[in-house]
This record gives sequence, structure tokens and C-alpha cells, in this order.
Amino acid sequence: MSGISRRKFLKSTVIAGGSAAAAMTSAKSAFAMKEFQGYPDSMGVLVDLTRCIGCRTCEAACNKEHNLPEPALPFDNLSVFDETFHEGKQKRRTTDKAYTVVNRYAEQEPGGPVYRKIQCNHCSEPACLTSCFVNAYKKTKEGAVVYNPNVCVGCRMCMVACPFGIPAYSYDSALHPEIIKCNFCYDTRLKNGKPPACVEACPQEALTFGHRKTLVKTAHERIRSNPGKYVDHVYGETEVGGTSWMYLSSVPFEQVGFNTTLQHHPILDNTKSFLGIVPMVLGIWPAMFLGFHLLAKGGKTENKESNAGESCK
Amino acid sequence: MKSRKIWVWRGIVALFFIAAPAFGTVDEPPASVSIGSLSHLYSEVVFDHDLHLSVTDDCSVCHHHRFGKGVKEERCARCHSESQGTFSARCSDCHVEKPFSVEHIMMMEADPKRYHIDMTGLKGAYHLKCYNCHAAMGAPSECGDCHARSDAGDRFYHSGIYAPAGGSPTGKHE
Ligand code: SF4
Ligand code: SF4
Ligand code: SF4
Repeated sequence: MSGISRRKFLKSTVIAGGSAAAAMTSAKSAFAMKEFQGYPDSMGVLVDLTRCIGCRTCEAACNKEHNLPEPALPFDNLSVFDETFHEGKQKRRTTDKAYTVVNRYAEQEPGGPVYRKIQCNHCSEPACLTSCFVNAYKKTKEGAVVYNPNVCVGCRMCMVACPFGIPAYSYDSALHPEIIKCNFCYDTRLKNGKPPACVEACPQEALTFGHRKTLVKTAHERIRSNPGKYVDHVYGETEVGGTSWMYLSSVPFEQVGFNTTLQHHPILDNTKSFLGIVPMVLGIWPAMFLGFHLLAKGGKTENKESNAGESCK
Repeated sequence: MKSRKIWVWRGIVALFFIAAPAFGTVDEPPASVSIGSLSHLYSEVVFDHDLHLSVTDDCSVCHHHRFGKGVKEERCARCHSESQGTFSARCSDCHVEKPFSVEHIMMMEADPKRYHIDMTGLKGAYHLKCYNCHAAMGAPSECGDCHARSDAGDRFYHSGIYAPAGGSPTGKHE
């Protein structure tokens, strides 16, 4: 009897001793798995650029839904389409005051102008999520990628990682700066089975809400049954491993501001080998960032330390 | 006894008027149609049906294969060139007000053999028909040409008396 216990005991110590290594292996094999194609009941939105008329009603609806700050110009002011940044190379982007913006493209094209709404695309395997060391992001079963400001340490890795340049940072808020981005109206609507505010408000039904699986079929059917109308591609079906928000267009996607050089598998793949060592690093990094974060926030800390916090940001 | 009879008749007459448009038995088109589904932002839009009758001589431009000179769109004609008209001429009898409600999404997905899975809601149907035709024909196509905005509408768009003071470019992204 004692022999059996001894064997059991020995076995368990071997397991315990090897647990760190085992955790690493299992993490690695999980990441090596062929990509997880998103949750089966994930919802999504199909944006049909051929329907959008650039009325900006979606922007107004989002602003109201989330009690966002007053815009610089009224939402019915269409002069915003002429705004450019970085010597005219950059059109409007999402900011800490706007989860979504509409831009105008292809003014000179035969079918133009074409308008394109941007917001978080709610990737199936979000780079913002995988880049975040403290798990501030979550992909919900409904398909939304949501962010928790309470655990965020303000490192802004997600802003760098997002292939669509979506997360913004509320630099203006001195006390509680946080990442700002479209949340698919998760708290106010999606989790209660309601469509997003922008979708509901769009007069042209340029935004179609439904199960992502169904929307993929709908998108291909629109292409198939309207020969010559659309580019034969559903943007977001496979880009970066698939996104919940997908797009149809009548002009080549690169002419309407889409990045068509993105890989068709998750961004995560690039960092797989790196992520293999994350479990070890995880123990240290959050503490480090949290330390910097607290230093940056604490008014009474010495200048030298605050600077250290700043440099990390 | 007599009064009861009158009520029964009134009931039948009322039923007829309620049900008639749904069964498509209206022969005379309405002179105008009042559309108030966006009344939280705008005053009612009165669609002048008579005016539009004089613009086109083919009802199927708007009414698919209910009336008119045959199915307009080729992809519809593949099945419907010989088929009977739709059961109703009223947009709202097919195009629902809440196309993205759970109930409607489930209903559309319930039958795997369903062909018409991509039907727009009522608001989408109106705008895609009205706006797109207006824009293509050079008819009035600014929002305000059809919609008179209410106070709540001005507040929604941060416009009119609710317009922001100053006004600097938006879209900064550091
Ligand atoms: S679009 Fe960017 S912010 Fe949105 S889920 Fe994808 S990576 Fe994250
Ligand atoms: S889904 Fe919601 S949060 Fe995102 S852009 Fe639309 S209204 Fe805004
Ligand atoms: S509300 Fe619809 S039509 Fe208007 S700008 Fe937004 S997506 Fe385009």
C-alpha cells in the first residue's frame, strides 16, 4: 500500500515539476492548431459600399448611442469628406471621440463617389486582443471585441497591432486615459439581441446585420446575382483570418482605402513562436506595466519615476 | 337585436377595409401615401403616388412583379417572368420594419431552402428605390428634399440650433 502511495507521490512530483514545461507545450500546441474560425454563432455586419450615400447618419447614431462628445461639425456637414491629414495622405480616422467615421473615395471614377464607413471590424482572431499582455480585450460569443479599461495599463500595444488602425487613445483625459473603439454596441444592444445603433439608423441599409455565416453567403449571392456590379471579393471574409464586419464594393478595394496587402490568416500566426514564451513573460510584464501605469497616474511620485512611466507609453 | 346586426355589418365593412390592401384587391392606387416611420427625426413624408404615376408608365419599376409591363430585373425574371403577381402591392406587406430583429433573422434562417434571404427592411426598400432613382434621374436627392427635420432630428445630427460652436476639423489620430 505504501508502495502504491509512493509511486503516486513520485508521479505527481514529476508532473508538478514538469508543469511549467507542460503548460508551455500545451500553449504552443493550442496556438499551432489550425485557426479557430471564430465563434459559430458570431454576428456580423455586411457593409455594401454600393448602397452607402455618405449621409453620416451612422456617425450620428453612434455618437448618440454611446453619449460621445459633441462633434466638431454637425453630422449633416459633408465638408468633413474634404478633410485630410499627413499632407493629404490620410483621410479621417476613428478617434477617441468617434467610434466610426465615413470617408469619400473615387470621386473621379465612373461609379463614384464611393463612401466607406470605418469602425472596428471585430476580427475573429483580433490582433489587439493577442497583443494585449493583460487581457484587456475579449472576443464575445456574439462576435464583439470588447475592451475593459479597468485592467488596461495604457501600453497601447493594441493600437500598433490592429491592422486597421482602429483603437484610439483618450490622451486628453489626464486621470483615466483609455483605449476608445467601437464595441459593436455590445453592452447596450448586441448582448440583448439588438442590432447596432449605426445599422438600425442607416437609411440605405448599406449595413446588413446577421449571423456572420449567413452574411458570407449573402455577400457571395449579391456578387453572383448582380453580374458586373461588384468586385468578386468579400473583404473581411478571410483577411487577417476573417472579420465580423465585411465589405462589398463596386470599385477595387485598394481604391477605396482598404489595405489589400493583408495576410489571409490571423496576425497571431506571426507571433506564434513569440507567444510560446509568453506564459513565462506574463508573470513579469503586467506587473512592470502596472507599476509604470501607477507611477504615471500617481501625482505624488518623483519626476524621475513619472518620466519612466511616460517613456513606456 | 337590430343594433347588434348593425355592429356585425360595421365589423365586416371594417374588416374588408383593413384586409383589402393585404389581399391586393385595391384596384385604384392611392393618390398619396403618408410615411411616418422616421417620425422621431422628421415629420411625415407624403409620397405623391399620382405624381410618380405620371413619371413612369410602368408600375413594375417599383412594384416588382405585382403590376406593370413585366419584371424589370433580369435575375427576377428568371423565375417570375411567367409567375403571378406578388400577393400585395404594399411595400410594407413584404418589407418588414425591423429586418434585424432576432425573430426576423431566425425566421429567414429557419428554412434552409428559402431563396429570398436577402430582403431589405422597409426603410431600406424605400430609400434604395426612392433615393437611388432620384439620384440617377437628377431628381431632388438631398435628405432635406423629402424630409423636414424635427427638433429631435436637429439634436440627433447636432445641427441647426444644436450645431457645435466653433468647428475645427475632426479626425485627428495621434
Ligand atoms: S479591427 Fe483592430 S481593434 Fe478591431 S478587433 Fe480587429 S484588431 Fe482589434
Ligand atoms: S457598432 Fe455601435 S459602437 Fe460600433 S460604430 Fe456602430 S453604433 Fe458605433
Ligand atoms: S448611414 Fe448608411 S448610407 Fe449613411 S453614411 Fe452611414 S453607412 Fe452610408
